Amino acid sequence: MPKHIFRLVSLIVGFLVVTIIAVPLLVPDSFYRFGHYRANSVVAIAAQQPVLQTANYCKDCHSERHAQWSASNHKSVTCEVCHGAAQGHPQNGKLPIPKDAAKLCTLCHEAMPGRPRTQPQIQVTQHSGGQQCTVCHNPHSPKIAAASVKVAGNAAAGKQKSADCAACHGAAGISPNDTWPNLAGQNAAYLVRILAAYKSGDQKDVAMTPLAQALGDADIQNLAIYYAGLNCKGAAGGKAAGDVAAGKVLAKNCAACHGETGIGSNPAWPKLAAQKQGYLVNALKAFKAGLRKDPMMAGVSRGLSDTDIADLAAYYAAQSCQSTK
Amino acid sequence: MKKEDSKPTLEARRAFLAKLGGAATCAGAVVGAATLGVIPAVSAKTETPSGGASFPTKDYDWTKHQWGFGVDATKCIGCLRCVEACKTENEVPRNAHQFRTWVERYVYLEGEKAVRIDSQQDPVNIQASGSEKEFRFANRYKDAKVEKAFFVPKLCNHCAHPACVQVCPVGATYKTEDGVVLIDHDYCIGCRYCVQACPYGARYFDEEKGVSDKCTWCYHRITKGLEPACVEVCPVGARVFGDQKDKQSPISLFIRNNRVQVLRPESGNAPNVFYVGIDKEVN
Amino acid sequence: MEPIIHFAPYTGWVYPNETVFEWSVLIAVYPYLTGLVAGAFTVSSLYQVFGFERLKPVAHLALLTSLSFMIFVPTPLLLHLGHPERAFNSTITPHLTSAMAMFGFFASFYVALLILEGWFAYRPFIVDQAQTKTGLLGKFYGLLTLGSHDVSEPVMRYDRKWIFALAVIGIPAAHGLHGYVGFMYGSLKSREWWSSDLMPVIFLFSAIISGVALLVVLYVASCKLRKIPVDAACVKGLAYTIWAFIMIAIVLEALAFANLVYKGREGIEMIMEYVTGPLLIPYFLLQFAIGMIVPLLWLSYMIWRGTTGRALVIGVTLCACLVLFSVFMMRWNVVIGGQELSKTGKGLLAYHMPFFGKEGALMAIVLTLAPLGLLYVLTRLFPPWADAATHAHS
Repeated sequence: MPKHIFRLVSLIVGFLVVTIIAVPLLVPDSFYRFGHYRANSVVAIAAQQPVLQTANYCKDCHSERHAQWSASNHKSVTCEVCHGAAQGHPQNGKLPIPKDAAKLCTLCHEAMPGRPRTQPQIQVTQHSGGQQCTVCHNPHSPKIAAASVKVAGNAAAGKQKSADCAACHGAAGISPNDTWPNLAGQNAAYLVRILAAYKSGDQKDVAMTPLAQALGDADIQNLAIYYAGLNCKGAAGGKAAGDVAAGKVLAKNCAACHGETGIGSNPAWPKLAAQKQGYLVNALKAFKAGLRKDPMMAGVSRGLSDTDIADLAAYYAAQSCQSTK
Repeated sequence: MKKEDSKPTLEARRAFLAKLGGAATCAGAVVGAATLGVIPAVSAKTETPSGGASFPTKDYDWTKHQWGFGVDATKCIGCLRCVEACKTENEVPRNAHQFRTWVERYVYLEGEKAVRIDSQQDPVNIQASGSEKEFRFANRYKDAKVEKAFFVPKLCNHCAHPACVQVCPVGATYKTEDGVVLIDHDYCIGCRYCVQACPYGARYFDEEKGVSDKCTWCYHRITKGLEPACVEVCPVGARVFGDQKDKQSPISLFIRNNRVQVLRPESGNAPNVFYVGIDKEVN
Repeated sequence: MEPIIHFAPYTGWVYPNETVFEWSVLIAVYPYLTGLVAGAFTVSSLYQVFGFERLKPVAHLALLTSLSFMIFVPTPLLLHLGHPERAFNSTITPHLTSAMAMFGFFASFYVALLILEGWFAYRPFIVDQAQTKTGLLGKFYGLLTLGSHDVSEPVMRYDRKWIFALAVIGIPAAHGLHGYVGFMYGSLKSREWWSSDLMPVIFLFSAIISGVALLVVLYVASCKLRKIPVDAACVKGLAYTIWAFIMIAIVLEALAFANLVYKGREGIEMIMEYVTGPLLIPYFLLQFAIGMIVPLLWLSYMIWRGTTGRALVIGVTLCACLVLFSVFMMRWNVVIGGQELSKTGKGLLAYHMPFFGKEGALMAIVLTLAPLGLLYVLTRLFPPWADAATHAHS
């Protein structure tokens, strides 16, 4: 073999030998362990820390809120959807409470072609008159009490039974003092709902609970029909203990359910017009403190100061309960 | 050459043997070298997946699971919380052009034969979201006469015969023993052949990291007993996830109780995301 | 730094991830370069292996051209990779199911082969230069001789056998290097525009005509620059080569397109809309009509009329320029065109090529022309001219 060929072939062989020795040294360790990839990559990926923590993570510290939420129909919306990822919380501080609720809620609840009919949807422009969703809906328990509670009872039987109620609520359903509410002309559906709640224990009141428990279902219906039919005899009268004008401004936020002047369109929700001031104040405070349980009212009343409550009560008390319709 | 000299001379024989020896040495060297080079490749998979300790973590053994995913497109409301959650969970670039999961909207308007399809990269939807960092479907058909409309969530199908794994030149993307197709960000060279090969458009190239990326079924979550982020946040249960080895898992029940189908079955990729309620135009 | 991502505008329906073009103009330049490499090598082999004697004036120029372009072949790829420093991963752990993994092996094998063949072809010249030149240049040539100055006849016979063997092996090597790119596109099922059994063959034949055309231009230009007469027979030989292969190339392209339309698979409406719309000019006008039919007709005319002399040289050179342009358009129409057609089969995207930037038009032009600079240097070190006084080749 000519000299140059020999040298050439030696060079080539030498190069091949070097590469063949070098290649296994250059292959990353853990490669080929399970296949044509680095097994350590799987380990590294599996070791990454989750960012979203799930609702269970929130449960320990926010147990009450969690309980409320998990009993509601929003339990399929995890906390982090609205509040952001919980990784690093609470060490890194609070998680945001969304300010523009409507922007968030309409993501799911804006009526849109393509959304299944089972999804609760609203026409945004026609629904709340521009108000924030959280005015009426508690995001942790958004469903508003059922509107259609059927009421069918005997007013005469109700009148008979109402003798037991007259001591506090007045013979004609107008209460003798500021603390106990008027019942005359109140929505029957609401009365049925609240009495049933007292009876079942959903609502607790020192006075009402034992009384309601003594009532039968038929009694409740009869009483509701009876009181609903009574004349509410105009305004409650009495000195306003709050700023009526200020209360009027605040009452705009209540109008969706309770009507502008306290006469709402939905019979499931009580009329507030001409209601006793003291009663309204107590009720609002009770809602705010969670003593009186209503998810929607709890949300709405949370933001009210004592002055606001007084103003609202004064405003509604000053309204006429006669419907203009 | 002299005719009578038919018998080779000693010199000629020596020369011939030398040539033969030389050739044999060269051949031997080449074959030996090739074998040495091939042995590592051949000895791949000598370790059985369950050989020894639990892999990949001590609390999670990948031989005990076979993950699957289901999508019920009849339930999807197009809220895009899944897209948001995925971007948060997996540090996906916050724009409207690179997604690990996305939702498509299909709308048939009255009098039109062709379906209208849009998704998060549509400028109208970007405008409705407010920016490329947030996600929302614009309610563009609210005043139109809509005959039929629905939403279809999409994500990587984690195919049984993934085209992306086949075409990767280095072995940076692979299928795990528990059925998940993953990407090795420390090994990928960023050639984007896999992005081209995926028939479903599930992959994208992350410019900042210089590697290709895609949905991993939140492998870091499922190996800890959690669900993928998109499944976790879906408020209507349009996404279903579970272990196909467990006959009572959500996905096993989903497949058993429904007529399920996959996207582009003709591709031969054998996807592992099973759809209920998609339509003729969905591909 | 905020990564600059150019989002492509689109019409119809495309997957959200498709709005970023992954393979830019550089990925069209890459097969263009490997095509020129393969084509130039084919010219050299036509002389070395198939005894096409009249191509002797360009035989060594073809080798040098092939080598110059081959050196630059990895550059568009390295510029494109997200992690170019990991490029060798595909050679260290090649995934054998992937056509792209073959690149490292084909490329290194072919580069070695080219260098070897060139070395053998120039050995007498190298030996002569080692003995006559002094200084650094002398040392350079001396190193290349591998210490042997033997250029006797038996040894030259030996060398010629090597050249022949290398030229023979080089044909599948060069064509494999370019063919695998075509296979990469043709075997993908995700894009109907790419998916075709004919794709590697189409790439190969258009590569050959591009390489031959390049040699025509380089040879004629070199003759003009060196102020020597152009060998008309050589140019005619190259013209015949282009003429023959261009017919095959046209037939193959037409077949592929006809198949696509005839089969009419899902997505065909969008393909037809695309081909008769945005792609009408680049495809039918630039690539086919101007780039292939015109040269074919012109060459046919010249062959039929027996054109010689200056008319022949000018005609063939102009045809060669058209062919070079057409083949680039073919790469563009495949790579960019394939991505402009959405995988959904229901939408089209528009590629907006930036001028500056790592993967812009300027870089594409630079990478295509830079090999010519290297070629100039190589022709000074290893003159390929058949008429040279120095014994440049065997």
